[in-house]
Amino acid sequence: MEFKLEAHRIVSISLGKIYSARGQRGGLKLHKNLLVSLVLRSARQVYLSEPGCPPEPPPAAAAAEPPEEEPAPRTAAWAAEPPPPPPPQDEAGRDCQGPRPRRCCCGEENRGGCAGAPPPPHCPRKRSAGERGQAGSPVKKPRREEEEPPPPPPSPPGEQEDMETSNVASLISIFGSSFSGLLSKEPKGRRRPPLDGGEAAAGTAPAEAAAETGQICCDEPVLRTLNPWSTAIVAF
Amino acid sequence: MFLKFSLRSVFYGAGGGNDIQWCFSQVKGAVDDDVAEADIISTVEFNHSGELLATGDKGGRVVIFQQEQENKTQSHSRGEYNVYSTFQSHEPEFDYLKSLEIEEKINKIRWLPQKNAAQFLLSTNDKTIKLWKISERDKRPEGYNLKEEDGRYRDPTTVTTLRVPVFRPMDLMVEASPRRIFANAHTYHINSISINSDYETYLSADDLRINLWHLEITDRSFNIVDIKPANMEELTEVITAAEFHPNSCSTFVYSSSKGTIRLCDMRASALCDRHSKLFEEPEDPSNRSFFSEIISSISDVKFSHSGRYMMTRDYLSVKIWDLNMENRPVETYQVHEYLRSKLCSLYENDCIFDKFECCWNGLDRQVQLCSPSTSAPSRLFLKQAT
Repeated sequence: MEFKLEAHRIVSISLGKIYSARGQRGGLKLHKNLLVSLVLRSARQVYLSEPGCPPEPPPAAAAAEPPEEEPAPRTAAWAAEPPPPPPPQDEAGRDCQGPRPRRCCCGEENRGGCAGAPPPPHCPRKRSAGERGQAGSPVKKPRREEEEPPPPPPSPPGEQEDMETSNVASLISIFGSSFSGLLSKEPKGRRRPPLDGGEAAAGTAPAEAAAETGQICCDEPVLRTLNPWSTAIVAF
Repeated sequence: MFLKFSLRSVFYGAGGGNDIQWCFSQVKGAVDDDVAEADIISTVEFNHSGELLATGDKGGRVVIFQQEQENKTQSHSRGEYNVYSTFQSHEPEFDYLKSLEIEEKINKIRWLPQKNAAQFLLSTNDKTIKLWKISERDKRPEGYNLKEEDGRYRDPTTVTTLRVPVFRPMDLMVEASPRRIFANAHTYHINSISINSDYETYLSADDLRINLWHLEITDRSFNIVDIKPANMEELTEVITAAEFHPNSCSTFVYSSSKGTIRLCDMRASALCDRHSKLFEEPEDPSNRSFFSEIISSISDVKFSHSGRYMMTRDYLSVKIWDLNMENRPVETYQVHEYLRSKLCSLYENDCIFDKFECCWNGLDRQVQLCSPSTSAPSRLFLKQAT
């Protein structure tokens, strides 16, 4: 659980950085945002791993303890952990083959109340073509500001509902009121803020409309759908 | 001579003899905390002789310091540096097409080798590179027949005798004038410039592309490296630094955010997307963390003067590579290993994104480490003489 909290915290911080980069003078710093997105991806993978189980060993698992609490230099983080049992939902969402409207009905806090086996991982339909089928290594990066806005994909109706509100407050504070308009369900055809033209648009990756259509970013089911790049895409 | 600069000031120290002792020699700039954003120093570079030190700041200004002549009776101590010239190199601009402001912050300065009395340097911000000529004027003509000394024209009818104007000494004036402006060649932010050993061409590198310029030609450049993927979502690494080989004018290296260095030969093909050599050290899995990718990103790469070695700087270490061996560095120095346990805090306060630089001393015997911020003090390492 500790790993989840740490991962959650890092996800929040990373999203905050991506958000605050929007207003930065001089435009998007590609290098920094790429690095932030890598951290975000790693933290998200840890966060989405089966709760209660320690995160899997490399490549994407987190450090064992929050670094600032550990005075000694961090040693092999995973070596210190007991070998984790293979989580039932491994690589949540990664090997999902198609749209699955059913969502995990258990929020973080009421895991104990989840009846029976944990539900199948929520499969985000909005993963880009580049990510789908890549087991364990989605590499969505923040788009450069001159990329054309990709068209928002249709969102399955079931995904719009937000089951988890307890983690919302921290994220809302990060994103501020600017995102309050996104909290209500948006029409599918909502037009993105125009991105800068100029570069030949690759524009092939479908947008991750989760952030666009008002999902609260920090919820576990939402995190499955949240493409960190989508926030950046929206921003840029 | 070593160099360290904090956000707002430049420190340099001096040492000498076989028993190296380092001490602060001079501090330039403001040392208190109450400094304007525009005064924050963003880049520093000595010229080839060490007599001149150029600094660029966030406000687009370049300040050049000159070392005063060595005192003959104190040959072991170097002269002090005083302000030599100040000029506004870059102004903020606005890209209307992309609705983006272009920062005037100077990212890099590189001196050209001196060929005549004037000094030349290249300075760049995110998008535009400028060639500046810095020249001294210490005499002026006096005794014109048709002009008064203050510049007013004389009435020709009052001229009764003619004289030949002569040069008379005046207070030294240092003038900086832009000689070339190399613009509109970079979509992404320029992070490096490097002058070729042929002294005719230079390269400029942004996050995804490297362009080759001729110093005399401003309206076109050649793209020699392009790592932009067709689908930007597949982007995994960016270029972080690039440098020409000191002796071979067709060879250059560029470093990436993934901790790799690629050596390319321009004779192989017009577009050097395929490297000739790839320098990469396998990652130590025991050090894996959320932030492994960030701290392995290389922030600076510098060839030794001999050209046999190169030095790379990532967040926690400095590595010396032999160009003949690609699979690992020959030496690794941990600069501030104690920060490894604090990476999360450094991530939070953005210090983990600081880009450290490094440079060799004149004899390739020592490596100096510069810190662009106060997150870590500058360190000095002695390497084995080769």
